[in-house]
Amino acid sequence: MAKKDASAKTPPADGAPFWQRNRRELTFLILFVVLLGGGFTLISINWVNDHVIEPFTAGIARTSGVALNLLGQHVTMAGTAIHSPRFSVNIRNGCNGVEAMLIFLAAVLAFPASWKSRLTGLALGILAIQVVNLVRVVALFLTGVYFPKIFDASHTVIWQTIVILFGVLLWIFWANRFAVPAAPTEPAT
Amino acid sequence: MAAGKAQRRSWALLLIRNALLWLLPVAPFWVLATPVYNRFLLGSAENLVHLTESPDVTDLVRKDNHFAYVSRRDFPPSKSLVHSFRVTDVHFHLLMVAALFLAVPAVAWRRRLENLGWALLITVFFDIFLVFFEVKFVYATRLGAWSQAHYGAFARNFWGLGKHLLDLPFKFSFPFLLWAGFYLRELMVEIRLTPRSS
Repeated sequence: MAKKDASAKTPPADGAPFWQRNRRELTFLILFVVLLGGGFTLISINWVNDHVIEPFTAGIARTSGVALNLLGQHVTMAGTAIHSPRFSVNIRNGCNGVEAMLIFLAAVLAFPASWKSRLTGLALGILAIQVVNLVRVVALFLTGVYFPKIFDASHTVIWQTIVILFGVLLWIFWANRFAVPAAPTEPAT
Repeated sequence: MAAGKAQRRSWALLLIRNALLWLLPVAPFWVLATPVYNRFLLGSAENLVHLTESPDVTDLVRKDNHFAYVSRRDFPPSKSLVHSFRVTDVHFHLLMVAALFLAVPAVAWRRRLENLGWALLITVFFDIFLVFFEVKFVYATRLGAWSQAHYGAFARNFWGLGKHLLDLPFKFSFPFLLWAGFYLRELMVEIRLTPRSS
């Protein structure tokens, strides 16, 4: 059941100060930046990187390796690296989907919505981002094998854009479709 | 109620469809503009770096259409090229900025283009700042004994953490932050979190 929002029922007058008129938007932006900065500072700590991010990235390498073997690439995995006789990649920060996940997480947590909506959005959103990231790793490996000349551009521009844009559009869809709205209000005059 | 849900769904889906479609014309435009924009970025960032050093010893030398060197005139000629980086990687988020700002449904074209103009201008300054941080990060943390001698522990951590935060999270999320800054109200109006102003 949607919670009623008192501030939405009595909107600030047009002459109200800027921060009051845009309270929700400013709160979202500030919370988003704080959560995003905090999240990335956390994963930059060596212990967190070694005990959380590296094993997570190794898991991505293993899953990608399984997918590549299903596609007949005969790869072997060692930690965060995927090797084949024709090409090798080492999955590092920036390619493990953690950035897109943290951006999505910060945006979902900063947005005014019920916790049920947030948790559902986070679970499904993070899963979806990781599926797209898996496609990215597999596609990049195949690009390295068959089209090595466009690997650099594909790695840093095309797939980064696709994964981040996917996270952003997914958030917009979630916020628009699943974030619990306040009760209908009278238009401001 | 059902009509409201359908309207909400269609607004988000329209925006997603528009963003994906806008990538098609925006991408080739960005590719064509990249060599010129890279030159502009290197020149501007070099001037910014010069504000932090005396005498001016840093040159940002273009290697080709995409790569550049950080060069120091006070180093021996054989060691003056201290770092190489891909300038194009700094600003691929322009693709997302343009696609997201052009994609918002039910907003007048004039306002969309005005907002896009402001967003691009802010992004240009952000990009100059990114290149500046790239250079300072190299000086503070990548030049071994020279870095140790010229940058203290706090400065090395400051430039290191700053580069880490700017290079991944804020470079990636910058288009979204800008979009939210300009259009979050539209989104909230769509889901009735904020009343439509007259």
